[in-house]
Amino acid sequence: MNWEPLATWLETTILHEWMVNFYWMFPLMETLHFLGLSIMFGALLLIDCRVLGLGKFINMKAAMAFIPVAIAAFAINLISGILFLAADPFNYLANLVFQWKIALIIIAGINALWFWFGEHEELSRLADGQDAPYRAKVVALISLVIWVLVIIAGRMIPYGPGGSG
Amino acid sequence: MDFLLWYENGPLGAFVRESLWGYPITLSSHAVGMATVMGVVLALNFRVLGYAKNISILAFDRLFLVGWIGFAINLLSGLVLFAGSASSYVFQGTFQLKIGAILVGGVLMKLVMNSVRENKSLTVQKALAATCVACWVVGLVTGRLMAYLV
Repeated sequence: MNWEPLATWLETTILHEWMVNFYWMFPLMETLHFLGLSIMFGALLLIDCRVLGLGKFINMKAAMAFIPVAIAAFAINLISGILFLAADPFNYLANLVFQWKIALIIIAGINALWFWFGEHEELSRLADGQDAPYRAKVVALISLVIWVLVIIAGRMIPYGPGGSG
Repeated sequence: MDFLLWYENGPLGAFVRESLWGYPITLSSHAVGMATVMGVVLALNFRVLGYAKNISILAFDRLFLVGWIGFAINLLSGLVLFAGSASSYVFQGTFQLKIGAILVGGVLMKLVMNSVRENKSLTVQKALAATCVACWVVGLVTGRLMAYLV
């Protein structure tokens, strides 16, 4: 994929200016990114662990209230993530680990859509203590595994081959 | 100080400073453990603060097991990272604040759960939960800023 036009354009944006001109922007966004990932992972842990059978007496329908929490936290991380990308687009886009991370997020996104459209309704009807269907457990397990890999990939970006950042 | 230098100059210190994958692998584990501990702490306290009221807090606390696994990952990976430059970390304000915040945050988490089990007033439960969240957030922020502030 030819990402160079995207990188060239990103460097002309105001986002790039902010990230480069204010030395505190990068650490501030990193901190928000960490807070966002913690909130999001916590929300997913709650829902996915319940589906997998840990904390079976957590009311499944009520636990779904943490879906908007996960989405809001993801939005924080999408915004701070775009700012990192705008700061140094050539290095990020050329970085193999960054490319993996984006691919993993897309897979996690598809899995989340499957959860929402394929499992959510049936799960909402579960009684407290009742086991979730097998297929929903697979979706929950995939969700946790992929997001753990996303976190690992994110933390590995500075050491990834391709970019020099 | 002698102990710190001994620890720093031992094999763990060398692993973090010199091996190709030592630092990135330990750092990644620390991020996963952080997400797990922070995730459980935040979700639980959100519930105590009044979000998603239909979840029974006592059913919720089964997740503590997961939180403790995250904590163990971070205690171990933290000790390995600490070996990287133990003798300077101890003097770093952000590090001191981070450790202090986590200790206080841990005690507060216990107090929050006690206040729920003993049916203390909602005001007490919520005040404890809010303070607990604040401590853990300080722990996370100072941890991240250790890379920038001495």
